[in-house]
Amino acid sequence: MAQQSLKRIAKELADCKASPPTGMSIDVASEADMRRWHVVLEGPANSAYAGGKFGIVVVLPAEYPFKPPTVTFATRIYHPNVTNDSSGNICLSLLKPENWKPATRLLAVLEAVRSLLVEPMPDDPLESRIADEYRSDRNEYNKNANQYVQRYAMRSVSFDAAANEGGKKGSGGH
Amino acid sequence: MEPGDQQDDLVAQEAAARDYQPQLEGPLVGKKTPSTAITEEYAKADPIYVQKTMVLPQTYSHYRPVRGDGSCGWRAIGFGYFETLIKRGNRAQIEAERLRLESLNEFIENVGHIEPYVFQDMAEETFILLDRISDVIDNQESAMAELATAFNTTAVSDSIIYHFRLLASSWLKGHTDDYGAFITSDSGCEGYCRDTIERPNIEIDHLGITLLVNVLLKPVGFVLEIAYLDRSPGSEVNTFRFPEEANNQHPSDVGPIIHLLYRPDHYDLLYLADMDLQVHRVDSLSHNFRITEAPMAFHSFSAVGDLALMIPNFGSPPPGLAPSILDVAAASPLSYTPSPGSSWVSSPFTDPIQQAPPQTSTLPATVPVVTQPQAAQPRQQQQLHPLRFSEYCQLPKYVENDTWQEPTFQTSSFKNSHFNVAHYNNPNFQPEEYKPGQEEYEPPSLRNSIRKRSSV
Repeated sequence: MAQQSLKRIAKELADCKASPPTGMSIDVASEADMRRWHVVLEGPANSAYAGGKFGIVVVLPAEYPFKPPTVTFATRIYHPNVTNDSSGNICLSLLKPENWKPATRLLAVLEAVRSLLVEPMPDDPLESRIADEYRSDRNEYNKNANQYVQRYAMRSVSFDAAANEGGKKGSGGH
Repeated sequence: MEPGDQQDDLVAQEAAARDYQPQLEGPLVGKKTPSTAITEEYAKADPIYVQKTMVLPQTYSHYRPVRGDGSCGWRAIGFGYFETLIKRGNRAQIEAERLRLESLNEFIENVGHIEPYVFQDMAEETFILLDRISDVIDNQESAMAELATAFNTTAVSDSIIYHFRLLASSWLKGHTDDYGAFITSDSGCEGYCRDTIERPNIEIDHLGITLLVNVLLKPVGFVLEIAYLDRSPGSEVNTFRFPEEANNQHPSDVGPIIHLLYRPDHYDLLYLADMDLQVHRVDSLSHNFRITEAPMAFHSFSAVGDLALMIPNFGSPPPGLAPSILDVAAASPLSYTPSPGSSWVSSPFTDPIQQAPPQTSTLPATVPVVTQPQAAQPRQQQQLHPLRFSEYCQLPKYVENDTWQEPTFQTSSFKNSHFNVAHYNNPNFQPEEYKPGQEEYEPPSLRNSIRKRSSV
């Protein structure tokens, strides 16, 4: 039964690999499991996250494309729209069940994640304290974000933390 | 730097809300079930629902529950489409449908502006199911089993109905002039497709049904009829057919009909009581002749037209069937002649208490029962049994006289004994009632004057 959506996933994967968003490299976690992607994103140069390397895990549920993929940060990041914990849930309106459309391409999802780093959305936060700081004290926010980059995002990317967390929950976030 | 406990709670709450999935029960498409189950479900609902669901099984003998996951309307129509193809049992028609739907892929791509990679996998499931049905079409049971399996396999079922969603949205995009006026939101046709049709688990609305019927059912000659079970006035469900022009036509003049039951925000499939007869209409006519020839009690229904009303597809459309039978039964007393078969009527009167001659003659309620037509008989019985009259009530004096009065007993020793019905130990205990103007009653003026006297 999952055969059919695997065709779609293979096509999506080929497209993403052929022309990935700027600074992204994409691969499946293992050849055996096409539904789990590991993405490495270089912090965009024009953002507070420049210089960092962030691991992102994309999981395509069995009901994909009728249910949205779950996207989580494997690397800790200081961001209004990403939970400040080891689960790294992302709030992305594109991926909310009420907004998701089966026609949405995974390339567009990855683009959206990248642009979230360039331009956080403090009006729809997962971390309201960071959102407040982003709005009221941009310098402090930049400083903290950079501190996190120095502490967590300067080494080679590891997907283990999110692998356990995301795998168990199976419905990470957006 | 770490978020506080409160923040954690909030995050956990938000996550729970995000991940919340309503508990949905039952299979995606259930088994054919006697529709009396719907009557029972509504037995305690408001009177309009009770009335409408009481007569529902007379028109529609069965229904097929569809899971209420937000796609039930799409799923029900999709299932009905395949089921009707199976009922027709025409392999050539199924193969023609496969070709037609395949050619619509181009339509989805060019007019619907949906990229092939999105819908190809989904349309493929539709074609696979059509092929499987076509392979076993000579055996309807196995064809229905294929259909039920496919529609209850989530990935397959969702793919097929999403394929149908895309057909409907493409149909709208290709006919904006025809349907544009029905879209009230500012986002227009594109927005309606994006926000309503192309989103999984958003329920089908009137426009969606119209689009799906026009792209999927109309070209193959199928008609969709929806019975609306709601609180609108009336004694039975209102029905409406798609396409609209099929509405005032006789069922035999339109193509095969897929019946849906609509309850606010939910669709199930319905099946007419005479579904098999409808398929083999010639057979039903020959039955008709056999019945009229038989020396049955049918001669009491004087007009042949009445009989025709009872034969499906003959005389009036199915929704009118139920009342017409009732009318015939209600009108029958005039022509009704007691036959040996109706001797059971006397059975309720074997009750020893009611057997005595003076009682039957003085009980007005029981007298008409003997001459009642059969139709009204059961109701009378129900009223009689729970109500047992005490022997006092059956004396003409008490029955006929509205102003029944407590017998007055002179001796106080009798009055206080259990032979007095006003005594709680009496088996026919009847509490004494307050009766102004009776002799034991103390007039207020007298009492007042006594009180006044004593207080002074």
